[in-house]
Amino acid sequence: MGSTATAYLTGFGRYLPGDPVDNDGIAARLGGDDAVTERIRRRILDANGIRQRHYALDEHGEPTELNEELAVKALRAAFDDRGIDASDVRMLACATTMGDVLVPGFASMVHGRLGGGPMQLLSASGVCASGLAALDAAVSKVRLGDHPVVAVVGSELSSRSLRQRRFDDIRAGMDSHFLRWMLSDGAGAVVVEFQPHPSKPSLRVDWVRQVSLAHEHDVCMRAGMDGIEPVVGNTWQDVGVAQAEASGMFVLRQDVTVLDDLAEAGIRQFEELVDIGLVDVHHLDHVVCHYSTNAFRDAAFDGLRRRIPSLDTDKWYSNLETRGNTGSASIFIALEEAWRTGRFSPGETILLAVPESGRFSFAFAHLTVVAPPDQQGATT
Amino acid sequence: MTTDTTTASAELQPADVATLFDRLADVWVELERYLERVPVLRRLDDGTVTIDDYRRLLFNLRQQVVDGSPWISRAASNFDIDHFELRAAAIKHAEEEHRDYLMLERDYVAIGGSLTDLRAGRKNIGSEALSGYMFNYADQPNPVGLLGAMFIIEGLGAKRAAGWAGRFQEVLGLADSQVHFMQYHQEADSEHTGDLEAILTSGMIDDAAADEIVRCAQVVARLYALQLEELDH
Repeated sequence: MGSTATAYLTGFGRYLPGDPVDNDGIAARLGGDDAVTERIRRRILDANGIRQRHYALDEHGEPTELNEELAVKALRAAFDDRGIDASDVRMLACATTMGDVLVPGFASMVHGRLGGGPMQLLSASGVCASGLAALDAAVSKVRLGDHPVVAVVGSELSSRSLRQRRFDDIRAGMDSHFLRWMLSDGAGAVVVEFQPHPSKPSLRVDWVRQVSLAHEHDVCMRAGMDGIEPVVGNTWQDVGVAQAEASGMFVLRQDVTVLDDLAEAGIRQFEELVDIGLVDVHHLDHVVCHYSTNAFRDAAFDGLRRRIPSLDTDKWYSNLETRGNTGSASIFIALEEAWRTGRFSPGETILLAVPESGRFSFAFAHLTVVAPPDQQGATT
Repeated sequence: MTTDTTTASAELQPADVATLFDRLADVWVELERYLERVPVLRRLDDGTVTIDDYRRLLFNLRQQVVDGSPWISRAASNFDIDHFELRAAAIKHAEEEHRDYLMLERDYVAIGGSLTDLRAGRKNIGSEALSGYMFNYADQPNPVGLLGAMFIIEGLGAKRAAGWAGRFQEVLGLADSQVHFMQYHQEADSEHTGDLEAILTSGMIDDAAADEIVRCAQVVARLYALQLEELDH
């Protein structure tokens, strides 16, 4: 028999670079102000519902920060919130879609910039669900008693690759424009510990689940290859850099025709959680869901309502419209804002849900709000 | 210490073992009364103990645990050849325990403590008194009375430590890897108390030695409890 510890989220931080950019300000940062691009952009923005977002780009479209800097700022905010510093942290789990450099791993770069002491690192790569994959690893190590304090950060700086210069003279259809007007920059972080916060409420992590359905789906969101099937000798690493660029391999693309399937598959995964009893539909107080567009929100919400008739729209939380879609950082940026603005009360439960279009992955986490130890019974 | 017990080991009158065990049992009851008054153990009992309490307890115990094996070794070196069995037992015991403090240090780090701070720590008032007494006793020729110290210290390990570990886990939600030191002692010290019983019943303890053993157990019971009462002081 072995006993494990309990993992709690005790500190929350986020960093959104620069001033918020509204829909009219996008073209100044990213370019693409010709009539055709303008029309596509308006259509996509109308559908996704994002009203403002942040970019680590100045008004001329030049980068102002590194992705690792965004991550460190979000981490520092989380440490401040918890009242610790980097030297208290024994493990750092970082998620990002693309770091600033090809090698070494993103977590190494973040740790180097963050400082603190020796620590275990994890670089979780992937797209949106990699944020909860990093959280899962952190929670597991805390539960095992291997580390008392672990920091998790999701950080994205996609804007650099969304600028017009990447799109000049290449074939760029809806598959690339879709993401170009969706994605923006930001980082969100949490502190995971084996004890609740001594004097403030914490979020107990009941479980984290992640599942990939890549075995039955083609690639959906991708960069670095032609088409949706990688071919030996024809990935960005095989051909010359100029050729890779000319053929549009460096443009981030998404097969928009399969996104309805993604929403369906996500709802099925959620229903499985209900079927096996991980989610008690009679006691689910909040859903913090990452989605890329309000169109999916409506589909997902309808799907959830079928299983949870009591689920009101006010239990559903997203800050997509004001913070944008920041990939692996989104779920933490949303959780931080929901937490900070006082949506949660002790005893309530929260479901985090992150569908990832990369090649169909879904991640969920279930949290329970617990009062600080001095305001509750001895056990939680 | 009565050294004259050594000269006539062949014709010594073995102490009445049943009486010796009764007397030690009385000391144990006395120890339990002391422990009931220890604040951190009361909080553990009523479920209000905090992670900070557990951290402080490990911190305070560590400073004395590092001394355990040295005083046992010193006692070993002071048993003459007529007490070969006790010398051998002490050497074996010291060898088995001399890495225990490392287990405690790992637990301390696993609950967020700093190894540097822990190693820079000093003994509390009770630990000072306990260590001072043990080293002084171990310095004497044939310190047979130390079997009484062993009765208390190993008894605490065997009968109490695992219970404390379990209760800390229950109240604070700790992983096994955060309470190794206390969990381990249930098993290891049960073995040691078995060894102790074998020695006490072997016929090599005479009445004078029995008195020494009981007296030492009384002193160690009080000082051990004092160590737990004087956390950080």
